[in-house]
Amino acid sequence: MRRRLALLLLCALPLAGLAGVAASRYVGLPGGTFRSALKYEDAKQGVRIAPFALMRKPVTNGEFLDFVKSHPEWQRDRVPAVFAEPRYLSHWPTPTTLGPTARPDQPVVWVSWFAANAYCESVGARLPTWSEWEYAAAADETRKDARKDPAWRERILSWYSRPSNEALPRAGLQAPNVYGVQDLHGLVWEWTDDYSSLLVSGDNRNQGDADKAKFCGAGALSMDDRENYAVLMRVAMLSSLEASNATTNLGFRCARSAPRGNTR
Amino acid sequence: MRAQRAKGQHTMRRWNLAVGAMVALATTILVGTLAFAAPAAAPLPRDSVYQLSVPLTDQQARTADWRTRRGKPQLMAMFYTSCQYVCPLIVDSGKAVEHQLTPAQQQRLGILLISLDPARDDSAALKAVAVKRKLDPARWTLAAPRANDVRAVAGVLGVRYRALSDGEFNHTTALILLDRDGRILARTEKVGSQPDPEFIAAVRKAVGP
Amino acid sequence: MKQATRILAIAVAMALLLPACSGGDANKDKKADATATEDSGGSAKGDLGPPQGEPIKATLTAPPQVPPATGRKAPAKVIVELDVIEKDMPISEGVTYTFWTFGGTVPGSFIRVRQGDTVEFHLRNLPESKMPHNIDLHGVTGPGGGAASSFTAPGHSSRFTFKALNAGLYVYHCATAPVGMHVGNGMYGLILIEPPEGLPPVDKEYYVMQGDFYTTGKYHEKGHQPFDMEKAIEEHPTYVLFNGAEGSLTGDKALTAKVGDNVRLFVGNGGPNLVSSFHVIGEIFDKVWFEGGMRFQENVQTTLIPAGGAAIMDFHVEVPGSYVLVDHSIFRAFNKGALAILKADGAENKAIYSGKEVDYVYLGDRAQPNMQAVTTAAAAAKTGALSQEEQIAAGKALFGSTCATCHQPEGQGLEGVFPPLAKSDYIAADPKRVPSVMLHGLVGPVKVNGKDYNSNMPPMSQLTDDEVANVATYVLNSWGNPGGKVTAAEAAAIRKQTPASASAGH
Repeated sequence: MRRRLALLLLCALPLAGLAGVAASRYVGLPGGTFRSALKYEDAKQGVRIAPFALMRKPVTNGEFLDFVKSHPEWQRDRVPAVFAEPRYLSHWPTPTTLGPTARPDQPVVWVSWFAANAYCESVGARLPTWSEWEYAAAADETRKDARKDPAWRERILSWYSRPSNEALPRAGLQAPNVYGVQDLHGLVWEWTDDYSSLLVSGDNRNQGDADKAKFCGAGALSMDDRENYAVLMRVAMLSSLEASNATTNLGFRCARSAPRGNTR
Repeated sequence: MRAQRAKGQHTMRRWNLAVGAMVALATTILVGTLAFAAPAAAPLPRDSVYQLSVPLTDQQARTADWRTRRGKPQLMAMFYTSCQYVCPLIVDSGKAVEHQLTPAQQQRLGILLISLDPARDDSAALKAVAVKRKLDPARWTLAAPRANDVRAVAGVLGVRYRALSDGEFNHTTALILLDRDGRILARTEKVGSQPDPEFIAAVRKAVGP
Repeated sequence: MKQATRILAIAVAMALLLPACSGGDANKDKKADATATEDSGGSAKGDLGPPQGEPIKATLTAPPQVPPATGRKAPAKVIVELDVIEKDMPISEGVTYTFWTFGGTVPGSFIRVRQGDTVEFHLRNLPESKMPHNIDLHGVTGPGGGAASSFTAPGHSSRFTFKALNAGLYVYHCATAPVGMHVGNGMYGLILIEPPEGLPPVDKEYYVMQGDFYTTGKYHEKGHQPFDMEKAIEEHPTYVLFNGAEGSLTGDKALTAKVGDNVRLFVGNGGPNLVSSFHVIGEIFDKVWFEGGMRFQENVQTTLIPAGGAAIMDFHVEVPGSYVLVDHSIFRAFNKGALAILKADGAENKAIYSGKEVDYVYLGDRAQPNMQAVTTAAAAAKTGALSQEEQIAAGKALFGSTCATCHQPEGQGLEGVFPPLAKSDYIAADPKRVPSVMLHGLVGPVKVNGKDYNSNMPPMSQLTDDEVANVATYVLNSWGNPGGKVTAAEAAAIRKQTPASASAGH
């Protein structure tokens, strides 16, 4: 049976190519009600996530190069400063070439939220929401929700303890999770559409801070699941960023809403 | 993810509205250009927020890109009309800033409050707030962007927000001062009737004596 | 010899005493005198005479409030009536616990008397209680601190009288066996015995008490949680809390103060087990009456409060903001709940604290790319016909980023979960297993180096043939494995064969 499937796949691949790379570039995730590791006062029973498609891998240098070639206003010597800070794509040898410090198959980094957003729009997609990211990232290779497993948490922590002056591996090196998505952990931080909705205080020891005026009607977001370091560190990272910022470890991937009734 | 246009008998009306809007827009641009000829003609600085194109629909149901505000320093903030907590203070803050200026200076500062909630803040809702708080339309504009632009506007202005399931928003509050060309000169997170003295000084410097 | 030693001792003693006699530096003298000769005389001098005036009924307060200063100048007879109430209350959101309380709260009511007062203590155990209880007040001189005289059955009231001879801030707690359980269920509080001249006045006084709690369920596990005796004996608390509940002093219930206030905290530690490293983030204690005694230390960041102990601390608020009270054994604060907030309102003072002034781009000194990283990346990406050394270098880089998270950087594995790769008998039996398991995964029981494993390793089919060949060659040549080489072509062939133990993965 497996062999037949394999043969079928071999035939299907060229067809997939004809249909457009987009066909296998995304996988579908069913969504549902999802308990976030963040304590949402307005979603105590969980967040509703509509079915959506997510790129299997983060966007690579090669893919982003195609984008800036066809959208020259996003090349690093032309982009308005308000959309990207001075270090945007600084790891590329020139604004339109890649090189040893930026291989085509590595996830693209040094990109701002505006640049990531523009790329996704250019391929008919959008950035994923934080909830979509969190939901997809809760899965391991065989389970939809591996978050309570201490061994899984250990794996994630050991990814983070790798020093960041090592070169980035290529995108797609990790085993796909149960939905087929790769590299959600341990490769690069990823922009989300609503990164700025992670309203945490700069000193997030103030859990339960009485200051309701701080975020207009609510105190800072706090963690419900304090042992979920993966999410804790993501939230800390994303909450420190402005839309024009870029860092050496921050990339992105795109998502698409299900065709029916798609509003942001 | 654009909304589908309705077909049939509404098309003609929409067409008229579109033409009307375009004429209004053209007039605004023309007036803008005539009144402040020199700055508007020069190329837009790379760090100007107007690099982002943002069509806004205001309390008088006019739609114009915020780029047309170029040529005059602006005081901007983000809010939404059904906000109970801090947003009334945002209006207070704007008024407090105005209080610190002479009438001549007030004429030289545009005040723009941008809604986080375009789905519910239509022109009528915006107008209701403007009327209730007695905001002179010659100086105060309350406007809503397109739904897809809210996150980008918040991004350039440095405002963070989260949409709640009940339609409310949690958000940071800031007053942002832009120069004639849309570059950010100053910002303050201190809202209320006691304005931040450093911010006031920056406003005074921007509008001149 | 002995004579010489004696003379030397006398000489040394004289040398030490002489400066004191000669009246050198005035301050130095005072401090030296204070520690060497001046003390309050302890309990022997603590009796200020018979009570005067009418008996007074003590004002007891629920935490975090503190009764006002007694303002008395003479000893009085004070009547304290304290109830024991067993009740279910939330310990955390969605989690309830059966607390045993003094006065209906955890910690129990705050009792404030003056040194020399005669205290007539009534302990009333409500009829609904399941257990008998008593009370040991650390401020009582007498057997059991009162416990021997206050053992009270449900529906009864005991009375005993004591004279408060020593000023200080003292813990009280139930001492009925098993004591640890009674304390662990929240039966503790504070009694302040004011010095005769009273404490210096301040603007705000608050009552905070830390305790460790032991439940059978895990932290935040919802529902009603019973007490876990074994965890208590092992000293592995589930919760470490201020005032008996997570969030008891946060959000709307945060303590409040104004800029310019002098704030005093009466802080106790009921235990039953843990010592507290008490700290207020963003503030320094101007004065700490350490251990609740009569001497104070100044400018303290973190003070130790023993289990069954207390401390008084004063600090002045300069700038507005939220000040977080924590046990600085920090995982207790963020993972067990030992966190409270003092919210100070008022005018900013940028000269004292400016807030974040600027956020600007920092380039660091590495303007050049990290060439080591570049070389490693290039090595890892190598494909085609490679020498064994090249394969090993490439495989090492890939192993680090993909396999090491489970099998560990030196192939040690995780006992019982992920099998080791180092000096593996499983690999030695058939080296071809390395590329095969990499490509197809492994499910089902397997014995490696004498230990059993039964996990599910997903297939790493996303690796290219070159990558599989390089990683396999690296593994075979590391940590005492048999050596050898796997080529990309071999990997391709193995990819096509699927063994029975393959994992379905995804």
